[in-house]
Amino acid sequence: MKADAVRGHLDGLLLAVLEPGPLHGYAIITAVQRRSAGALELRTGTVYPALNRLERTGLLRSSWDSTGERKRRRYELTDAGRRALAEERSAWQAFTAAIGSVLDPAPHPGHAG
Amino acid sequence: MSGPGRRTGPTGTYADEYADEYAEVLASALRGPARARARLVAEMREGLAETVTAYTGEGLPHDLAVRRAVREFGTVAEVAPSCQRELTVAQVRHTARAVTLAAPLLTVCWYLFLATGHGGQLPMATRMLAFPLAGFAAVAALLAATVLAATGPLARRLPTPHRLPRATAWAGTTAGVCLGVSALTLAASSPLSENWPVVALAGALAAVLHTVVASSARACRDCARA
Repeated sequence: MKADAVRGHLDGLLLAVLEPGPLHGYAIITAVQRRSAGALELRTGTVYPALNRLERTGLLRSSWDSTGERKRRRYELTDAGRRALAEERSAWQAFTAAIGSVLDPAPHPGHAG
Repeated sequence: MSGPGRRTGPTGTYADEYADEYAEVLASALRGPARARARLVAEMREGLAETVTAYTGEGLPHDLAVRRAVREFGTVAEVAPSCQRELTVAQVRHTARAVTLAAPLLTVCWYLFLATGHGGQLPMATRMLAFPLAGFAAVAALLAATVLAATGPLARRLPTPHRLPRATAWAGTTAGVCLGVSALTLAASSPLSENWPVVALAGALAAVLHTVVASSARACRDCARA
């Protein structure tokens, strides 16, 4: 899936991979790629400003974490972030159900004929 | 701009050398608060270095690892606009915060002026100047507080208006002018006051606030143009 198609769903993807626990930027990107089995093309450089934006709007919080020689910013979901993720999931399920019901050629019971 | 050129140095790994150069080019392309810009660039520098290291760890030659990493990461020209958008909002918030904090302090300055000038030889016109200046600063502060809310938690529900950076820059400029005029008025009036050290101190405080707010408003205008 092209980067342009992914862009509108970037916030939800980032929140989802942070649900199990805190991660730093590069690990967030690899988690998205791993979960999508490489199907999602992310312009990974744009993930960092998106993380900053999510932190500004109170969905994430972050702290510096020094591991070896590298100093990384580690992000985790806030309570507001968990609620926003739940809303994103509900909205996505409603959207895919609506589109699926149009695209799916299978006749619905009670509408035959 | 298609990203920095390739160069290795005597210190650090190849990935770090390349990431340093990328970060330098990116930093020079961005405008915004120094701390926020440094933090964002540092994070991206680490991310690019790790991407290059991951590819070289898979056995790719350095040149190919860098090309793959930059293709995946995006060139400076490709990633700079999204970085600038976030830094512009950071600058807007910085300016809004400065204006929000400056307005109550300006009121304190004028309160000191009016309190110490009571019964002194202060011209009525000078006293009357206090109210419109404090009023303008208060309106600017109110707008700035609204900006802070709109770019903070409310940003999840409301889209950030395109003209917000420019509007904030103008609010900051207005507050800066009020602070500057206040500083001059307080400094010029202090010799006439019964308690001139307090009025001079209020003038100095207004001058400091003017410097902070005016420079932040100027930076906000730069970001709005970027």
